Amino acid sequence: MRRIVTLALRDLRLELRGRAGLFAALFFLGVVLLILGFALGPEKDDLRRAAPGVLWVALAFAGSLLAGRAWAVEVENDTLDDLLLTPGSREWIYWGKFLFLWLLLFAVALLLLVLVAGMFYLPLEQAPGLLLTLFLGATGYAAVATFYAGLVARLATAQLILPILVFSVVVPVILAAVRATLGLVEGVPLGEVAAWWKLLAAFDLIYLTASSLLFPFVVEG
Amino acid sequence: MAAGPLLELAGVWKRFGREWVLRDVNLSLWPGEVVALLGPNGVGKTTLLRVAATLTRPQRGTVRLFGRPAGRLEAERGWLVYVANPPAFYRHFTGLENLRYGLALMERPRPERELRAALEALGLPPEKPVAAYSSGMRKRLALARARLLAPRLLLLDEPETALDEGGRAALMDLIAEVRSRGAVLLATHDRAFAERAAGREVVMG
Repeated sequence: MRRIVTLALRDLRLELRGRAGLFAALFFLGVVLLILGFALGPEKDDLRRAAPGVLWVALAFAGSLLAGRAWAVEVENDTLDDLLLTPGSREWIYWGKFLFLWLLLFAVALLLLVLVAGMFYLPLEQAPGLLLTLFLGATGYAAVATFYAGLVARLATAQLILPILVFSVVVPVILAAVRATLGLVEGVPLGEVAAWWKLLAAFDLIYLTASSLLFPFVVEG
Repeated sequence: MAAGPLLELAGVWKRFGREWVLRDVNLSLWPGEVVALLGPNGVGKTTLLRVAATLTRPQRGTVRLFGRPAGRLEAERGWLVYVANPPAFYRHFTGLENLRYGLALMERPRPERELRAALEALGLPPEKPVAAYSSGMRKRLALARARLLAPRLLLLDEPETALDEGGRAALMDLIAEVRSRGAVLLATHDRAFAERAAGREVVMG
């Protein structure tokens, strides 16, 4: 467990020092929010109804920019071999990279939540439910993205292939997260929203288990 | 640790695309041995080292390290150090940070004063980013990391290149140190260096 946390914190430190990926994602978020804000007009009800879609579209696309960062740092520095030569089963590398991407994605999601709440009237009185949805959605996204980013890390076309691979698998997570967020915005009974949360939790569990078990086989050169 | 060879390659074949780089390679490395792989560029020296390091899987043949099949190594992987040419480090990190994280992830954390001492002994500024290190300094940093990891099997790819006289002396010290508890396999073009460093030479190609 200590190695997993060390790897995630080390990668965060490198990412903050290099800054390229995080800045690109934040810039992209700003542009998406601005364009959708203009397109939807000033009507409060329209903006509020669109808020769940805006939140998850922005997060999904910003996530696609961040997805490759977990492995880009190894490819840029040519250090992937050193990670593979660490002792023990290679599953821990997956968990370390997953934790790094999850922390990055969740931090961006929190910022996005505040921005969408301010611009699109997302009801902040539903903050606990919204945070739970973001937590579950970010977990599923990071589980899939970490796996596929590791799979294509050594390919020259990784940046092109990765979003296609990730989106083709992660769509159920995004759809369930949008439905849960919409339920919270429309004030439907919590029992109905909880059904989406359960579905998200099930996706997360499946993706995390399968990815960590398969990872040692796909990461070898 | 097993009493047999530390590294055993038997009937190893490796190809990239349609090109066979290694054809039926057989090699054993016993405790106390330093073996040099000699040969021109493109003959497969680096590929052989990467196969031995379990970083590349051969199409045919078997690789055993420390008496175990390469595919079943777990804790034993920590007894092995592979120094690539050029060695890889995180450019945004300082020499000290590279050592600190490198050792922590190998589950061999060392006190900060030991890391500083190891860097200063090789004339490396601990707080300078590796991006500002010359290629010779990066080679020295790789030697410092290898020494701190205290491997039983050391794999070196053209270790003498980019090193000045002091760096070469540190390299020879490291080879002697690892030889006293294990074995060293190195690849080089430099026959004079191979004769000085190794007890056995294997000419490839």
